[in-house]
Order: sequence, then structure tokens, then C-alpha cells
Amino acid sequence: MDYKSITIGYGSVTKVSIGKRMPLVLIGGPCAIESRDHAFIMAERIGEICHCLNMPWIYKSCYDKDCRSSPESFHGIGIDRGISILADIRKEFNIPVVSDFSDPAWGGITGEVCDMVQVPAYLCRQTSILQAAAATGRPILLKKGQFMSPWNMKNSVRKIEAAGGKQILLTDRGTFFGYNMLVNDFRNFPIMAETGYPVCYDATHSIQMPTSMGSISGGQREYIPYLVRAATACGINALFMEIHDDPPNALCDSNTVLDIKYLEHILRQAKEIHEKRIELLEKYGEDNVHIEN
Amino acid sequence: MSTLKIKNILVKEVMLKIEDFPVLFEKVLFKDTLETMNRFRLGIACIVNSQRQLIGIITDGDIRRKLLKVQKPFSALFVDDALIHSIRNPITIQPITTLIEAIELMGKNQIWDLPVVDDLGTLVGLLHLHPAIQVVLGVK
Repeated sequence: MDYKSITIGYGSVTKVSIGKRMPLVLIGGPCAIESRDHAFIMAERIGEICHCLNMPWIYKSCYDKDCRSSPESFHGIGIDRGISILADIRKEFNIPVVSDFSDPAWGGITGEVCDMVQVPAYLCRQTSILQAAAATGRPILLKKGQFMSPWNMKNSVRKIEAAGGKQILLTDRGTFFGYNMLVNDFRNFPIMAETGYPVCYDATHSIQMPTSMGSISGGQREYIPYLVRAATACGINALFMEIHDDPPNALCDSNTVLDIKYLEHILRQAKEIHEKRIELLEKYGEDNVHIEN
Repeated sequence: MSTLKIKNILVKEVMLKIEDFPVLFEKVLFKDTLETMNRFRLGIACIVNSQRQLIGIITDGDIRRKLLKVQKPFSALFVDDALIHSIRNPITIQPITTLIEAIELMGKNQIWDLPVVDDLGTLVGLLHLHPAIQVVLGVK
């Protein structure tokens, strides 16, 4: 197996590499950019925790939330203001940033500023979005749709590769289990890793209960620590979490975002499990249970 | 056809040309491989690298064995790279081998098809048992 690693960060920001036997990377931030001040406060506070843990990280926040359940829900701060805030965060904190985009026309400006571009889960098989993501030339955070099998993500990977994309991070954010419910199938990590690209676990969306509250999504965030520990032990390369300092008043995904007061506790454990797993790999070698021929 | 004449026939005179059997590149999916084999009505597909060197074959027998061993859903199997399910060191012959030798090799190994490769391992043809026997019987 030819394992690829990816590197996120252009210009003077701290570059972050994700791949096999590399440190666990956090991709985190508030779901939506709520204001410049809030975005800065979150970047500062998450940055302090990651600095204390010596954990590489990428700031994640979106300027447009196009898959909200209700027309009344907060739709985002808008592309111009949002991109400008992300650019300032890069500059101020010297960290790479990622945002998703849900219209192919927004790919250009998103990739111009962001170090990484994200393909939303619901759009993970849309050719025009995948092509626009590849055209940015930036590494791509590709979410597995909740409706997709892990093996079918290979088709999305191939669409990106055909359009010239070379750096992909495949991310599991849960799979529909009937209506309004997601579950994690941890076989998804080794299956998606068969593409050769690194894999990531999106903990805060995995505990989402999509649109379970009528016009908004619910979630069971109490399970985040359990699932993070399990996913890390499975062998992920990066951990994705949406983080907020006041979840009840978060403008987006208030039922699933992780309260920042829990972040350090969770990351410490994830980091230790990740390091232990690498140690075990060195000690005992690769998993070697194969289908007998 | 005289016995002497049959003994002198070379594989290259009887083999199927590249365009007449399934030849696929290394990134081909398992499902596309099966469809190509169906289209050619042959029980073998040859997988080559960008230099057209033979790097694997898949036969009907391999597929039967895979179906019994690999317990993953068809949707997952279909999207696998065919190469991972292929025989990576298949028995091959050279174009200047005699047909009789080739048929003996096929009999000994109980196989219906022999990929034909040159000195560099480049795939140049396929010896299929039916046309080979037809030549020996003087039907063709």
C-alpha cells in the first residue's frame, strides 16, 4: 500500500502534515463564523490548548451554511466577510485555516485564502464541487456523505484525482441508521485508507441526530469522548471537532458542538492513544489478518 | 495438416491480437474488468502497466474463488482495483514458443489461456485454447 501524506499551509503559516505515523492533527473551530471577535476568541482559546498539548491544528469555520434544515436558521456571515475573517485569523495566529464551500463558483475565492478546502458531506459526490475543490490546488477535506458506503468514496476520490487534485483527507462523520440517526462504522477508516490517503474522524457531526428536532438537528454530545477514543485507537490521522465557548447560544449546530471547557480533556486522551498506537505499530508491526487465498 | 508442419507452428501465428482480448490498465475497477471480460466472451483479463508490461491476470476461476472467500458486499468488491484480486505472477509464454509446447503447458497447468509476453515482459498477445486446438485439428 502506497500511503500518502498531505501538507496543509501556504505562505508563512505553520505547516501541518497529516499522514501515517505522524502526530494527530486537530481540525477545529466553531461550525459557523459568527463574528470577527468570536472567531478570534475561539482561535486564541483553541490555539492555547493545542499549544499546551503540542498538537498541530487547523482552524475550521464556515462562512455559509447551505444545508440548514430551516429557512429561519442562521445561514452564515457571507462569503466576503467570512473569507476576510479567515484571512485575518491566518495572519494573526499563523495557523492554516479551512472552510467548506457549497457552490462550485465559491471554490476559487475559498481556495485563494484557505489553506485547505472542505467538500460538505451532502455534496461529496457532486462532480462540479469536487472539480472546483481540485481546481483550488489546495488539500481537500472530503467528508463521507452520511448516505455513502466507505468503499464508494473511492469514486469521489477518483473524480478529484481526474481533476488534478493530489491531496485528500477522507473524513467520516457518521452514517445514516434509519431516519434522524447516525452511527459510526469504524471499518470505514481502514476501508477509506485503502485509497492511500489519510483518514479523519469528525466526532461532533457523528453524534448529530439529523433534523431530529423538527426543523433543527439534535445530538448526543455526551458520547463524543467515547467515540473519539475509539476512533483514535482505530488509527485515524486527524480529528475534526466543532468547538464553541457557549454551545446553547451557538448560531449553528448548537446541539452538537463541543463546549471548549471539555476540549483539553478529550484531546489529551486522543493524543496519548494516538501515540500509543504508533508505538504498538513499531513494536508489533502492521495488522496482519488477511483474507486467506 | 502434416505432423511436421504442426510441430513447427509458433504461438505468434495463432495467438489472439491485443485488440481481441481484454487488456486493462492497473487502475481498472473489478466491475469494469468483469464487463470487459463479458464483452469479449473470454474467461481472462490481462492487466498491464503504463509500459504495457503484464502485471496481473484475472480469470473466471479466480473470480469464483474470490466470491467464496471475500465476504464483502458486491458493491464493495465491484469498486476494488481489479489488480488486488489478480494473479500477480501468471504463467506466460513467448511468441516464439511452439504451439505444441504451449498446449502441453496449458494441459499440465489445467489452464485455458496463456498470456504471451516478449523479453521485456510486454504483453503481445493471448493464446486461447480453442483456436490453438482448431489449428492442431486442421479446422482453421
